[in-house]
Amino acid sequence: MRILEDVTKSRIYGLMGNINITTNNENYRIINGYKFKNTVEEYLNNPKSSVALKMVSLNDDYLPKKVSDLSPAEIKKVNFAHALIENKEYLIFDYFEKELTTKEKEDFKRLFTRLTKDYHKTILIFTNDLTFIWDISSAIFYVDNSKVINTFSSKDSNILNYVDNPSISKFITLLKKRNISIEDYKSPQDLLKAIYRLKENPN
Amino acid sequence: MPILFTINNKTFLATNTTVLTTSEYNPNQDTIEFYNKGIIVINETPEYSLNDIPYSLLTLFECEELKVKKELTFIDKLKLNILSVINSSKKVYVFLNTLTYLDDPFKETLFKYLKDNNKIIINYTTNIEETLYFDYIIVIHDNKIIMEGPKKALLKEEKILKKLGFNLPFIVELSIGLKYYGLIDKIYYDNESLVNKLWN
Repeated sequence: MRILEDVTKSRIYGLMGNINITTNNENYRIINGYKFKNTVEEYLNNPKSSVALKMVSLNDDYLPKKVSDLSPAEIKKVNFAHALIENKEYLIFDYFEKELTTKEKEDFKRLFTRLTKDYHKTILIFTNDLTFIWDISSAIFYVDNSKVINTFSSKDSNILNYVDNPSISKFITLLKKRNISIEDYKSPQDLLKAIYRLKENPN
Repeated sequence: MPILFTINNKTFLATNTTVLTTSEYNPNQDTIEFYNKGIIVINETPEYSLNDIPYSLLTLFECEELKVKKELTFIDKLKLNILSVINSSKKVYVFLNTLTYLDDPFKETLFKYLKDNNKIIINYTTNIEETLYFDYIIVIHDNKIIMEGPKKALLKEEKILKKLGFNLPFIVELSIGLKYYGLIDKIYYDNESLVNKLWN
């Protein structure tokens, strides 16, 4: 299955569904929990290691560490730093956000956007968390049985028919079932204001 | 006989618990110890044997296709790992950042199955939404227990949670906003209850 070959470059794309992520393309780099050998410093092996670590919210204290010293999130971050040093055109993130806090997820989303705009990377984010991609992706691919079943724009709420709905979407769905007219908000603040308006002006 | 466990030298009674950690925490290094009974640990290196999984269980969890599927994904293997140990005589199931990979229907069936069989779940996660699953929360940062207690009490500690990098769960955050506007008078922890309150 080939997804990135025909897309517009220097953008972020989402990928959802149940597949294994692999590639034979030299221009692609998959960032996952690969357990590298030796120390972080030996793995990165580059004069720009410190810069790369800083970009992924780590620092030089991690250089002497081995995989056994790192948390699952830190292993993924080091792999990300390694990918930045490799400087491949396409980056594929494989469940990258799984062990991150809310703040870290937002920080990395900003980094992804910066990588596409300033460094012209094309990024594919594979996840089961729609909220991690729906406000930064140009399109979201849904796959099943190794095929792209459907492609959604970031504003297309039909994707909710295919994937686990985020908490806010589940709440909105419940309101709609009660015949309450409400939009498909992505931000809790926007939803809050909408509910307030509905309650203040029930007609 | 009650089951006790310790994390970082602090002892807890084993009940369904969320252990909320920041991302630098490595649960594999945890000093968690369980007394009296053994535990089942589900981590990111799933192991399973299809022979250990009765077909009735595959049917219950709607995973029949996994028995014949040629190329299993990580999610498939994780599900099979869980199904291969779900009928163990062990009382406590520890999930190390793995529930977050599972789809909602599978999780709902899993929680019901474990509850019906009197099993206890200890769920390690960085996902704040998962704190809504169970009634007790332990928060760990920098290898230290920052706070612990009943869910409703801990989810009031917004400042501490934000400092650690967590937002509040969506329903709690929405409740706080609605309470501020005077539309409700308390915090709700599930959608149905909150919607019923707003629109009877």
